[in-house]
Amino acid sequence: MKDCELLIIGAGVAGLTAARTAAESGCHQVVLVDSKAKPGGVLLQCAHQGFGQGLTGPQYIEQLLRDFPKQVELQCATTALSISKDKVTVLSGAKTGLQRLRFQELIFAAGCREIPAGALQLAGTRPEGVYTAGQVQEMMNLQYRVPEGPAVILGSGDLGLIMAGQLSASGCKVNALVEQREKCGGLPRNQLYLERYALPLLCNSTVSRVYGERKLEGVVVHNRQSGKEYHIPCRTLLIAAGYTPERTLIQGLGAPEWLQLCGNCKAVHSMIEGVIQEGKTAGTKAWRNIRSGVC
Amino acid sequence: MKFYDAVVIGGGVLGCFTARNLRRWNISVLLIEAAEDVCTGITRSNTAIVYSGCDNKPNSLKAHMTVRANAEFEALCQELEVPFKRCGSLMVSCGPKGNAVLQKKLEKGRLNGVPGLRILSAAEALELEPALTKGIHSALYAPSTGTVNPWQFGIAAFENAIYNDCAVSLHNRVLAIQKYTGGYVVETEQGSVRCRVLCNCAGLQAAQVQEMLFPPSVRIVPDAGDYLVLDKSVVGPKHIIFHESEESGKGLTAVPTVEGSLLLGPTKRPCTEEYAAVERNELESLQKLTQEILPDVDLKLQIRSFAAVRPNPQHVIEKNGQYLPDGRSINSFVIEEPAPGFYSLIGIKTPGLTCADQLGAYLARKAADYLQADKNMRFVSKRMAIKQARQLEYKARAALVAQAPDYGEIICHCEDVTRAEVLAAIDRGAVDINGVKRRVGAGLGRCQGGRCRLAVEALLKEAGHEGL
Ligand SMILES: Cc1cc2nc3c(=O)[nH]c(=O)nc-3n(C[C@H](O)[C@H](O)[C@H](O)COP(=O)(O)OP(=O)(O)OC[C@H]3O[C@@H](n4cnc5c(N)ncnc54)[C@H](O)[C@@H]3O)c2cc1C
Repeated sequence: MKDCELLIIGAGVAGLTAARTAAESGCHQVVLVDSKAKPGGVLLQCAHQGFGQGLTGPQYIEQLLRDFPKQVELQCATTALSISKDKVTVLSGAKTGLQRLRFQELIFAAGCREIPAGALQLAGTRPEGVYTAGQVQEMMNLQYRVPEGPAVILGSGDLGLIMAGQLSASGCKVNALVEQREKCGGLPRNQLYLERYALPLLCNSTVSRVYGERKLEGVVVHNRQSGKEYHIPCRTLLIAAGYTPERTLIQGLGAPEWLQLCGNCKAVHSMIEGVIQEGKTAGTKAWRNIRSGVC
Repeated sequence: MKFYDAVVIGGGVLGCFTARNLRRWNISVLLIEAAEDVCTGITRSNTAIVYSGCDNKPNSLKAHMTVRANAEFEALCQELEVPFKRCGSLMVSCGPKGNAVLQKKLEKGRLNGVPGLRILSAAEALELEPALTKGIHSALYAPSTGTVNPWQFGIAAFENAIYNDCAVSLHNRVLAIQKYTGGYVVETEQGSVRCRVLCNCAGLQAAQVQEMLFPPSVRIVPDAGDYLVLDKSVVGPKHIIFHESEESGKGLTAVPTVEGSLLLGPTKRPCTEEYAAVERNELESLQKLTQEILPDVDLKLQIRSFAAVRPNPQHVIEKNGQYLPDGRSINSFVIEEPAPGFYSLIGIKTPGLTCADQLGAYLARKAADYLQADKNMRFVSKRMAIKQARQLEYKARAALVAQAPDYGEIICHCEDVTRAEVLAAIDRGAVDINGVKRRVGAGLGRCQGGRCRLAVEALLKEAGHEGL
């Protein structure tokens, strides 16, 4: 079995920052794993200029990776399958095989997952064409495909708005953004898309039903205030209903001294600056623990 | 025109087991399925229960078959390498009406020879199943009830039928059937075949298929049921729970599935379409009943809801030259033989999954008698499942990854499904993400394919399946 001082699971902004901070503070053996083929996490699929000084996700990651400390052993295309209470993880990768790794400190930075359509009280059929907003983002920015229009977006938070903008810019008509609260939930800069593309925002409303036998044909939008229902045709429905911090792997561990969380698996952030801050704090603290444990 | 001794129409769980059992004899078999993949009809959406047999009328074929099927289920699932769990069931009562129902089921079950049936007091039931509400009166415990993965069960029979040289024609609908001396001509979208025996296992369309050649006798009247699925992190019952509300008469079934999720449902309501749409008030009533009976189950862990269509066969009556269903659901299995060599399973509902192998064997024996066929000495009953990395201990898994690196790449994180498994599913016949999901479980978990769907689609595309 291999050993390391610090294991970091997840090489998104939080994990990368934590790794850099720990290494630059003096930690010699940092292992940073990510199941994707490249480091960067969710930012890799963010084509909008929303990070730092107006950078896209990939540009921001490129900047983060510049002069990255050599002490960090980055293992991409590697998934952590389990973490045990006695501080051993099992890692799986096609190139790296199955390996056991013992660590002293763990920083968990596995991000978050989107709430799926199935978690909502959606009536109707279960046709093709219902995606989470993040799936469509991945489809457009990493696979260079545009989903079939017109689209309806459930949720007017930042991701819903960003995708509304991107779909409109790519020629996929957005027939409506449906928001359950009384007003739009996203940052002002993302709300600009509503004006730019003259997108209909339906507040106090929810998608109550989908129809279409094999392929999505439309949705029913229910307005809670008026009680009225509207049929809106669409071929694609984006679910932008929010996120759940991804903590499945650490579920049974409790809160041991040697475990820290940072980034979206701790709490979902709308700005990258907060994630950076948490990454730095986690990296510093992990190194402090390692040093005091060694002394 | 090609000739087969027997043609099976329909690749649901019943068609698949019929085809497999026919191959136990020296009978050449063609299975024709309208969809691109098998097990996409009724077999796709059901409750996954292997029943004990205490619900069925004593001495009926259904009762005999269910009790026998249940007793043989472990062996069958071992042979076919399909996940099965004999978790037992508790039918709980919360009042006098319920108590009377339990008593009746106990008597029926004993007559049917169901092993181990007992009525438990509230305290006994709670000790056995702490997830239940303290408000129950009593419970009927049936230790032999179990649950199976219905998709893998049907697909395993299908694969084993093919292994034993059953011919298959998918994405091919039967359009018409003609008689000719000594047999039948089956006209399909892809041409015609001749056969001597026809096994009609067309599920919801079985009455229509029979009416291609014979006057109506039974028609299927559909109704619908809604289901909820909770993530496997749920702290829920270890047994299958059945309950019928004293006030509303509405039922709840809770199944701790072989995958670890909790399946709640089905409701029962009318429906008109041949495909099902979920109704919100039905989901709400399911949630309410769950809260009453299993108060600690966290309904926020819901990951999916879906609806199923239930076939209710009814006899037809002729009225002014028109045939109409008589309004009374037939309770027994409808197995018809409108002419020699023509066998129909019409509207087989619960416990059709439990009895799939029994029903298949029943039709195969009839066919073998009719054709005077001998036993097929080369029949191989064993089917090998797709090897799943997650089932292995560390050492075995490490060795597997070392030997086949695709087993190292995790595609579905929620269910721990590897690239090798997804590729194997495609290799064995999956043509879309649902086919992959049914075979190896990718996309079944808490993110519902949120993270793996595009990766699975990419692998499907590489194999030449464009998807929708
Ligand atoms: C809601 C519900 C819950 C249930 N729960 C349970 C349970 O818990 N336990 C249990 O034991 N049983 C259960 N059952 C019963 C069980 O699911 C069914 O008995 C079984 O799945 C029926 O299988 P099938 O092969 O007849 O039908 P299907 O799976 O529908 O297969 C029929 C196939 O025939 C094909 N077909 C139709 N017409 C043509 C044509 N013209 N040409 C070619 N192909 C054609 C269709 O495409 C389809 O694939 C349940 C049923 C329902 C409805």
